[in-house]
Amino acid sequence: MQHTILDQSDVVPGLEAVALHLDSDQLSSFFPLLQKGVTVPAMVGCTLRSLLSDQLAIPGDYVTERITTIFLDNRPVDDLDRTIVRDRSRVTLSAAMPGLVGATVRRGGFYAALRQGISHVAGSGAASGESGMVRLKLFNLMLAELGPLILARGLILEQGELELLLKSLSCKPVGTSTNTGQVLLTVLFSELEDIF
Amino acid sequence: MPVTGQRERGTRMDKIARIDMGAAGGPKVTVGDLGEYAGLGGRAMTSLMVAAEVHPLAHALGAENKLVISPGMLSGTTGSMTGRLSVGCKSPLTGTIKESNAGGQAAQVLARLGYAAVVLEGKPEGDDLYKILINKDGIQVIVDNSLKLMDNYPLVEKLRGEYGDKVAYMTIGSAGERKLLAASIACTDPELRPTRHCGRGGVGAVMGAKRVKAIIIDDAGMKMRPPKEPEKYRDANRKFVEGLRKHPVTGEGLPAYGTNILTNVLNEAGGYPSYNFKGGQFAGSNNLSGETQAALEIERGGTATHGCHRGCVIQCSGVYNDKDGHYLTKQPEYETVWAHGGHCGIDDLDTVAHLDFLDDNIGVDTIEIGVTIGIAMDAGIIEFGDKEGAIRLVEEIQKGTPLGRVLGSGAAITGKVFGVERVPVVKDQALSAYDPRAIQGIGVTYATSTQGADHTAGYAIATNILKVGGDVDPLKTEGQIELSRNLQIATAAIDSTGMCLFIAFAIMDQPETFQALLDMLGSFHGITMTGDDVVALGKKVLSAERDFNTRAGFTKHHDRLPRFFYNEPIAPHNQTFMMKDEELDEVFNW
Ligand code: SF4
Repeated sequence: MQHTILDQSDVVPGLEAVALHLDSDQLSSFFPLLQKGVTVPAMVGCTLRSLLSDQLAIPGDYVTERITTIFLDNRPVDDLDRTIVRDRSRVTLSAAMPGLVGATVRRGGFYAALRQGISHVAGSGAASGESGMVRLKLFNLMLAELGPLILARGLILEQGELELLLKSLSCKPVGTSTNTGQVLLTVLFSELEDIF
Repeated sequence: MPVTGQRERGTRMDKIARIDMGAAGGPKVTVGDLGEYAGLGGRAMTSLMVAAEVHPLAHALGAENKLVISPGMLSGTTGSMTGRLSVGCKSPLTGTIKESNAGGQAAQVLARLGYAAVVLEGKPEGDDLYKILINKDGIQVIVDNSLKLMDNYPLVEKLRGEYGDKVAYMTIGSAGERKLLAASIACTDPELRPTRHCGRGGVGAVMGAKRVKAIIIDDAGMKMRPPKEPEKYRDANRKFVEGLRKHPVTGEGLPAYGTNILTNVLNEAGGYPSYNFKGGQFAGSNNLSGETQAALEIERGGTATHGCHRGCVIQCSGVYNDKDGHYLTKQPEYETVWAHGGHCGIDDLDTVAHLDFLDDNIGVDTIEIGVTIGIAMDAGIIEFGDKEGAIRLVEEIQKGTPLGRVLGSGAAITGKVFGVERVPVVKDQALSAYDPRAIQGIGVTYATSTQGADHTAGYAIATNILKVGGDVDPLKTEGQIELSRNLQIATAAIDSTGMCLFIAFAIMDQPETFQALLDMLGSFHGITMTGDDVVALGKKVLSAERDFNTRAGFTKHHDRLPRFFYNEPIAPHNQTFMMKDEELDEVFNW
């Protein structure tokens, strides 16, 4: 395993970029972080479908068939094309869930009426498109399947968070400091099977 | 759907055993034909029998109550997922009719011995304790006072010394013997661990009141129950299993993470009740999640994928080891993790697992006890988040101290004794891990279920395919009443088949898998089954249950949530329970 410090200030101005190259068996070390939520740079003011498909590059059929439970700021989402992602929105991705409530929060599910009052109301506001950040959470099957893609694209961490992470991975501390106190971390895994 | 007709003796499930524990001269066993109960199994058997034979005003712990134990209609066959066992009685916790079901090996073994039901009746004088041995030679009721006040793990260990490992055990721990209202009946899993519990409603107290400590079920010499149309049955079962394996919930999510996969999602939805229903989210939820739990189980040499009975292809259970890699308990389910976790402000899986072990050992319902501990915290007996304190309180139940007896009697009693206003119960049974202010629809089921608050009473069972009550527009508000009604009807039917409810997703999303289930039921009995037959059975069961409750004094005014759900909004959605009383009253209007 190794890490390099890259100049990626063009990706997110003012941010130092750190790239890790790890073995695929270390992917699961990132699951607690991804489950808790990570901040990713993104063009915001776009539809949720555009975020997932165009920016995060998740194939369309995977989005349709596999990411069947999505929350935007704690609200279950039904219509990806009429849901606008704002700066600092929290987007949570999950596979289909068991239980009545699992069926209830499912996107466009038959039991959606049972969550009356908490569903995301689609169609509020027009798409614009500006750079910003999104808080992204991955649950259950999404961790192993989407984790590599999100990590390769990069996430923004507090310097302290990064040092803790490196320690847990038995990597040397980076030892840099940034003006913002944040770094852009990208992680690439060797010999990882591409599921897409 | 009830099946009638001539049955051969032997591996046909064609007899009912009645054990009069109060008979003059000692317990008396009578084995008879099915009579009016022909073709029934599981919840249909227990509820129709209790409704017909138990006086609705009987004391639940008295001689007039009956404890009906029934394998599902397909239990004991080669069919997958068919190992649920139903136990029914009048509940000492709720005062309503009760059906409580569990996995484990008991249903399969009892069904292969040919019993559609074993009914414990009456109540012995004196304080002798009994064990019941059921095998191919018949039924023996044996006094065994050496078992007194033993808890489930050591009890099963002792019984294994005598009866070996090729049997199934149903036992009660000290809580059942003490007739505590949260007492459960444990069924052993394939590894002979007493981990699968008929948990809800105090059924263990009814067994304890009848002084029955253990039922040993030995099917040596018996064969699988043969279907009427073996080839069709085999084919339908193969398609059914294929359907379960290919669905992301039953083929991937549940096997990988178990039901605790729901912690993260409920928390994200703001429907995860925390600190005794004061919040809809819990900051420590990540530490309790199924994802975290599965990783820990695997790291410690346990497993996150395990079947509670042979023939389960979903395998939503697991083995939770302690820090040293020694078995601590089975993988705690979502509702257990919630009740002992976020509900109590505890975010430590080892503590939750320890509490789960204690609950299983003492023989109490993990939901009822977890909710009760949270109420004790609200009362100031211990602080929210006090891990050692929570363990101490459950140990009080084990010791049978006065405080322990109060706690072991559940949330409603504990709330009354300690003057707590926020007590999340319906008909005195604790709500589970889904806040009805966020997920309004589940509140409809909590309020109106015949069983008291029960999250499984209206499970997501293919009502879209069944078209129970016609088409419903799921996006209309009024759809919630219809949906809850339909779900309760469908669940009552599935609870009668012996099928685990977790098949729900594959049959909901894959019509061919639902058809395979119908074909299994049909070919087993040599009839043609349709969705209408399923609906008719569900309605029959629910009507009998509802009628019993009415005769027991329950009215529409009992079909309500506690007032705080209407008055106290919770974050993050700041919503209260909004369903009107008149709407709730429509649920059973069919
Ligand atoms: S899915 Fe889970 S609860 Fe159902 S039978 Fe299998 S292990 Fe038991």
